[in-house]
Amino acid sequence: MSVLAALARELGEAQVGSTPARDSSSELDGSVRPRTGEELATALGVVAAARASVVVRGGGSWDGLGHPMPRARILLETAGLQSVPERGDPEIDSEDGVAHLPAGASVSWISERVRKETGGTWELPFDPVAPTATLGGCLATASPGFCFGHPRDVVLGLETVLATGVRVRCGGRVVKNVTGYDLAKLYLGSLGTLGVIEAAWIRLLPTPEKTACWWVPAADPSQAVEPARRSSARAAAWLSAGLARELEAPRAGMFLELAGDAPAVKADGDWLARQHAAEKLDPAGLDRVREMRARNPGLRVRVSARPSALTRVAAGLSAPGTEILAQPARGLLWALSQDEAVLAAVERSGESYLVEAAPQAVREARELFGESQALRPLQAALKAQYDPTGVLNPGRFAGRI
Amino acid sequence: MGPTPNPSSLEASLRDVVGADQVLTRPEELFVYEVDGLTHHSARPRAVVLPATTEEVARVVKVCRRHEVPFVPRGAGTGLSGGALALGRGVIIECARMNSILQIEPEDRYAVVQPGVVNTDLSKAVLHHGLFYAPDPSSQLVCTLGGNVAENSGGPHTLKYGTTTDHVLALELVLPDGSVVRLGSPSGWPAGYDLVGAVVGSEGTLGVVTEATVRLSPIPERTETLLGIFPDVVSACRAVGAIIRSGLVPAAMEIVDRRTIEAVEASVYAAGLPTDAGAVLIMELDGAAVAVGAQAERTRALSLAEGARDVQVARDEQERQRFWRARKGAFGAMGRLAPDLYVNDAVVPRRKLPEILEAVCAIGDRLGLRLSNVFHAGDGNLHPNISFDRRDADELARVLQAGEEILRLCVEAGGVISGEHGIGTEKREYMGLLFSDDDLEAMKKLRAAFDPTLACNPGKLFPTTRICFEANPKARGYDQVPFE
Repeated sequence: MSVLAALARELGEAQVGSTPARDSSSELDGSVRPRTGEELATALGVVAAARASVVVRGGGSWDGLGHPMPRARILLETAGLQSVPERGDPEIDSEDGVAHLPAGASVSWISERVRKETGGTWELPFDPVAPTATLGGCLATASPGFCFGHPRDVVLGLETVLATGVRVRCGGRVVKNVTGYDLAKLYLGSLGTLGVIEAAWIRLLPTPEKTACWWVPAADPSQAVEPARRSSARAAAWLSAGLARELEAPRAGMFLELAGDAPAVKADGDWLARQHAAEKLDPAGLDRVREMRARNPGLRVRVSARPSALTRVAAGLSAPGTEILAQPARGLLWALSQDEAVLAAVERSGESYLVEAAPQAVREARELFGESQALRPLQAALKAQYDPTGVLNPGRFAGRI
Repeated sequence: MGPTPNPSSLEASLRDVVGADQVLTRPEELFVYEVDGLTHHSARPRAVVLPATTEEVARVVKVCRRHEVPFVPRGAGTGLSGGALALGRGVIIECARMNSILQIEPEDRYAVVQPGVVNTDLSKAVLHHGLFYAPDPSSQLVCTLGGNVAENSGGPHTLKYGTTTDHVLALELVLPDGSVVRLGSPSGWPAGYDLVGAVVGSEGTLGVVTEATVRLSPIPERTETLLGIFPDVVSACRAVGAIIRSGLVPAAMEIVDRRTIEAVEASVYAAGLPTDAGAVLIMELDGAAVAVGAQAERTRALSLAEGARDVQVARDEQERQRFWRARKGAFGAMGRLAPDLYVNDAVVPRRKLPEILEAVCAIGDRLGLRLSNVFHAGDGNLHPNISFDRRDADELARVLQAGEEILRLCVEAGGVISGEHGIGTEKREYMGLLFSDDDLEAMKKLRAAFDPTLACNPGKLFPTTRICFEANPKARGYDQVPFE
């Protein structure tokens, strides 16, 4: 019996698609769409027993991230995961400022629900690059948004399903916890190669009383660090000249959103105007910046560097047709380019990097995860422990594990 | 493990690495390493070795592996869960000599430190840059950053600033096979698996941290400290809930109950707290100068609405220190009550605090114990403290019974069995309260990837049937535990 037939028998025909599909790099025989953690576990158990492999997909906004996965033949769609273990419905605890949320729910849907159920006191601390992004996808990619930091800062616990179809959990609903290994850190950003996230406990953040958006002229990212570190600064995006022009700014500078108590937002705004000749901007600019961040002109590379090194890194990457977007205080920079020379320039920078988007040929030929080779044995050992037969996104991660 | 190797050979090999005077083997030297801050668990190490460099640590680890002897990294030994005990007659790798701050980068807001640097010394060293190191465990005057990394230490200001894991950017780690790896980077956004996140809080079971790159935070423009005086601990807990619900994020919210106030006021830490109060709630807000005053006023109003009979605002730094003295001196003050202090550590959802606190006190009363509470209320992190005399076998048994009942109570309320002290030997048998066998197996996979032979700090974190200290609370025979 084929894997798809076995999946259909276990989960029902409606949850299995036998039409050949394609992700960004693989020809796939079909798909499976579990609706619950139990179904997810069953599906992975079937796949593992057949020694087959899956491509895990949430909202699909990061399909092109990582190396191609030619071995995988089945698409595992997690967007159907709309319930949390035990309780079923998502739980939003406005008294404690935490929420238990299903991986398959879209961030935009959850954000709206959090806002409604908490009377606007709390907000979901994710601002993904695409409106279709699922919570699970945000966690599996650990991709930085603009308003909020790394997902690791707000994930309290995770329910995951391992490659063998075993459901496990780590962490919990409380805001402080050192009970056992912090496996959530390991799953976050692992691109679904160690386990598939079923649901998560998330710490909500208070909705700021006031927000205001500013344009801060800054010739290079390092000049933007100080304003980006103001106490009420939340979303900061330094844009090279080409991107800045899209916000109708004549030169490079930084889009900055201030958020917090009204007096602090006002005081910081006054300071920006006084010290940096900053000008107020329409808040819609934030959506424009998000769109720039998601843009794929051919190559998009994320570089992680000390804030003081960002200008050096940006200078090394500058070339006709290459635009730079940076989060100065967080030490993050994106190069958007069609020119493959940017890859060599990133390597020369000596900084940690991740090729987020690239043509198929580049994804096949080059290592996309720019970090120390010395860590490869440890990372391979982790993959071997959690997914010994290569069920989950085989070959996608660093070193093609 | 194979047959017991010749002990003199191990010791000679260790001396070859670090020098004869940096290897301790005499009983009177080993005695002080038998326990950490959890005094009713003990195990005598086979040797204690004090390396000075990463290379020496790596060589020590290789010597231990060659002799098939387990090893345990140790900081200042202030841990409260038995995590630094050398089970299986292991070797303790004492990091006290690795106590240098290697690099301070104020512009990029990080520092590189060796594991033996005392927590508060780092903040002192960067103060003139307008920076500080945020995690502030109560033992911060003596505890070391290596130990903080191992335990993912918290502290009163965790509420706003997070625990150690939120402040570690990179690590140098000697793996259990003696190889050295560097995890993470000063910029803090790794491209591969988050190995730093996995190692922080792993209780020294994945390797020996020999260097840590930690984030430095800017000293807030303004700090307001309030002291709420409540008729009872339940109303103080309700005030905490109201403040959290409102969306305010204080830097710290700490409750000190009546029994603790009485102990503090009778000690050298006396802070002038009203001994007729049922509890005090210390609340600290910090941030932008223009915003903190209004936040403090909101906090004060919410406290009064929940029954505070008075809320004082510190008028100056001296008064702020006085408020904090009651909190920070609490554990020292307990020393007057009994020779031993058992500090439990559990977390519950914050809205459950009032009912849980009542239940915790009832457990202490029912078992005839001197139980008091001083805890990180803003995080829901309880610290029921039980003063006792471990030489009294019956009292010790009741202490352990209370500890177990409190943990069960917290888990039933949706909480967990440790918020900042770790599992160590103390709570490993209770991991099953929270986690299934499958959950624990998933954790063991992490362990196996780093340490397939389980040589590094064995016998911690995971339940074992080889020891039954619950059945025999007087048992101190951890040195009889076979090396896993």
